[in-house]
Amino acid sequence: MIENFNRYVLANLDPLLGGLWVTIYVCFWSFLLALILGLFACLVRLRGGVLRYLAIPYIEFCRATPILVQLLWVNYVWPEIFGFPQTVIGAGIIALALQASGYLAETFRSGFEGLPSGQREAAAAVGMSRWRVLYRIELPQVALVATPLVINQLAVIVKSSTLVSVIAIPDLMYQGLKIVNQWYEPIEVLTAIALAYFLLIFSISRVANAVYVNFQVKFGLAGYG
Amino acid sequence: MLAALQGALNPALFWEYRVILLTGLLQNLYIFAESAVVAIILAFIVGIARLSPRRALSGTAIAYAEVFRNTPEYVLLVWIYFVLPLLLTKLLGMQIKFSPHLAAVIGLGVAYSGFMSETVRAGLRSIPAGQAEAAQSLGLSGFTILRRITLPQAVRRMLPEIVNQLVSLFKATTIVSLISVQDIMYQVSMISVAEMRPVPLYTGAALIYCVVIIAATQALQSLTQRWRTRGWA
Repeated sequence: MIENFNRYVLANLDPLLGGLWVTIYVCFWSFLLALILGLFACLVRLRGGVLRYLAIPYIEFCRATPILVQLLWVNYVWPEIFGFPQTVIGAGIIALALQASGYLAETFRSGFEGLPSGQREAAAAVGMSRWRVLYRIELPQVALVATPLVINQLAVIVKSSTLVSVIAIPDLMYQGLKIVNQWYEPIEVLTAIALAYFLLIFSISRVANAVYVNFQVKFGLAGYG
Repeated sequence: MLAALQGALNPALFWEYRVILLTGLLQNLYIFAESAVVAIILAFIVGIARLSPRRALSGTAIAYAEVFRNTPEYVLLVWIYFVLPLLLTKLLGMQIKFSPHLAAVIGLGVAYSGFMSETVRAGLRSIPAGQAEAAQSLGLSGFTILRRITLPQAVRRMLPEIVNQLVSLFKATTIVSLISVQDIMYQVSMISVAEMRPVPLYTGAALIYCVVIIAATQALQSLTQRWRTRGWA
């Protein structure tokens, strides 16, 4: 087993690490995109007037469609209808971001709805503009409450990112399956990959937990989460 | 773009392949039902074990939940399909092979039992300890306390969260197509390869899932809501 480990995992460390890098790259950009889209969708849903009837179906669609379906849909359908994304990496990033943005929008919304409405009224009474109220008073508090949940969403993105190998993005899973198909020796390679993903996701959720506890103690938050 | 959009929503292709697609959907439901049973049974065992005063037992349960909560379902599925039979073959000294269907049920069941065991634990913890202590002082055995006092109340509190988990499980059944279980996504891929027309099929699949899942969530939540308020046990 050790011998096989050397032969299949260590000898292929370069492609595997390259795959890990692609995984991190895809997750990072889709996380960033999801934060922007999620916040935007949330704000439109809460304050967008009539536009909310566009935001609600968007959020519901993102949340209710399995990630694999979205991935294949974005990869095969979007280029023909919208003319982008032109690369598989782009499709992977967009699909992961779509899914996560739906969940993040709901996370942010629960944060906004948890704020007492008196704060907004008081801020309006002292003459602050709507934007100023948003970014000086509401957003900082929502960020405090939502941060642990947002970090958890990153863990979910990493989890779902294993599926981008299906549309031939050379991520960690893709490189691993490639080695398996080459040598027909799945035991060591797949176990090492499972372990790598586990450690990555486990540490992200530990961070989320630590942030949650830290914020609760530091800022005296209670009743959220 | 308008013409493309019209093409994307053209249902003719779906109608043409309705039998194959419905068989695929049935396969999804079948796997969903089996893995839900596996997940719920395991989740109760693990969730109860986590609250055990014996360190070895609760420690094992915590490790189990953490491992399966933090491993991607796809990796788990592939690992169970390719690696587990080989390890069992070496261990038991006889040829063992899993069908894709069996691997899918084990993989999804085990993965979601990790999530659900947390729900079970939280539900059991939410029942005041005084009740179990009072029952103990009346001479009820540990198992009877669990069966007659703690669980009936805890299950009702768990229901909304369990329903959410089941919905996620149904969404996750799409990935079984990747280990060649012939579910709806597998059929959709096959048909779009044969027809060279991916646009309407994938759009349709996305819409079908969206509608089915939103409807199922609403129906299940209102169903369990009735169950919760009308009493059970």
